[in-house]
Amino acid sequence: MQSRTLQKVDQSQLGALVSDCGLVRWSNSTIVEHSGPDALDLLHRLTTKELLTITEGKSRRTALTSDRGRVIDVFVVAHVEENCLMLISDSDDSERMVSAIDYFTIIEDAELTDLSGSYDRISLVGSRARTVIESVFGIAVPDDTAAIIKFGTGSVTLASDTSRGVGWFDVIGESYALDSAIKMLEKGGVTPIDSETFEYFRIDNAIPGSDREYGEHANPIEAGLLDLIDWDKGCYVGQEVIVRLDAYDKVQRELRVLVSNSPLVEKTGLTVASKPAGVVTSASRLASDDGKYLSLALVRKAFAESSADLEADGIEAVVR
Amino acid sequence: MTMAPGRTVPINTIEITEKAASKVKQFAADKGMEKFGLKVAVKGGGCSGLTYVLDIVEGAEEDDKVVVHHGVEVYVPKKAFVFLAGTVLDFSDGLNGKGFEFANPMATKTCGCGTSFSV
Repeated sequence: MQSRTLQKVDQSQLGALVSDCGLVRWSNSTIVEHSGPDALDLLHRLTTKELLTITEGKSRRTALTSDRGRVIDVFVVAHVEENCLMLISDSDDSERMVSAIDYFTIIEDAELTDLSGSYDRISLVGSRARTVIESVFGIAVPDDTAAIIKFGTGSVTLASDTSRGVGWFDVIGESYALDSAIKMLEKGGVTPIDSETFEYFRIDNAIPGSDREYGEHANPIEAGLLDLIDWDKGCYVGQEVIVRLDAYDKVQRELRVLVSNSPLVEKTGLTVASKPAGVVTSASRLASDDGKYLSLALVRKAFAESSADLEADGIEAVVR
Repeated sequence: MTMAPGRTVPINTIEITEKAASKVKQFAADKGMEKFGLKVAVKGGGCSGLTYVLDIVEGAEEDDKVVVHHGVEVYVPKKAFVFLAGTVLDFSDGLNGKGFEFANPMATKTCGCGTSFSV
């Protein structure tokens, strides 16, 4: 029998993400400039969060859904300057956001510029992220901050994101400027995080991922994006469907963390006594110190209770 | 003549019924406007994605398509026209009336309150 080498999660990186400040580099993400006097009002009419109160210097994360109530994209709206918004999404398909917003831009004075190819992005994550940013850049960073940070010959844009349930700040900019910012941050004590450790942390904290937990296959309620819905804001695209799902308790699945003795495989169907019970949406290849593996799954409500036993292609998994 | 919503109109234009035109004239008179027209447009938003825009304005803008029905000039921005081609605008009053009503052959789905649609 071939033995498998257990690859455990790096506890020092994990510790930084939990109780200090970890630096996550994104290889691909969507960064779009949305400019013009009608840009903010348009996004307010299209997406799930109330956005008209985002004055200059503030940011808020919101979801763009289809008229069927499915998630098209989720992004931070950073109001960095008058009539200028920066939209930051975890999606690696910038065309999806651009084409969806562009479709609804009819009589509005608003323009989209896709900067995904020329800008880079990092996220600063952890309970001390705010303190580190304030110390390194010498600025106050209240909740919902959007700011342009200038230093030397460059500048980067900072946007706080209070929607993830952990301390989270996005920093975007052209490569040379962002590299300078990263050097300053590393001198300030941030810990670089590798992609697999970040994935473990994301799953452990049930943070929904783009095209994993949310996307065209899921509505925002089942995908764990409930905090991104403002129920009393009025109409937005998909609102009628989403409100009906909630009001009549029609949501079929819930986002759950699963624990197993072997790593699960994404997109594997879950079963209970051969009955369909959901699908694995994210799976960490790293084991915890006690040798357990974590996954995220959209689990049918009937099987979503804590400690419920599920099966994923022959591997037992327990709802945490 | 009053046209009922649902009546087919040429796809290269939009029409307003005599009743709707009469209401527009009344609203313009209430506002003291001697020169006026009806702006009919579409903007993003609403449960189904696209929302109708109606406004009484003093004149057309450069990019507007202009049609005249029952003595009322109707201005439609060219970018909005693709979502409105063939539409009949009517007005329903009385206890069960809904005000201005759009019969839009491009709309494949409308929301419950009828203010937004998708194509």
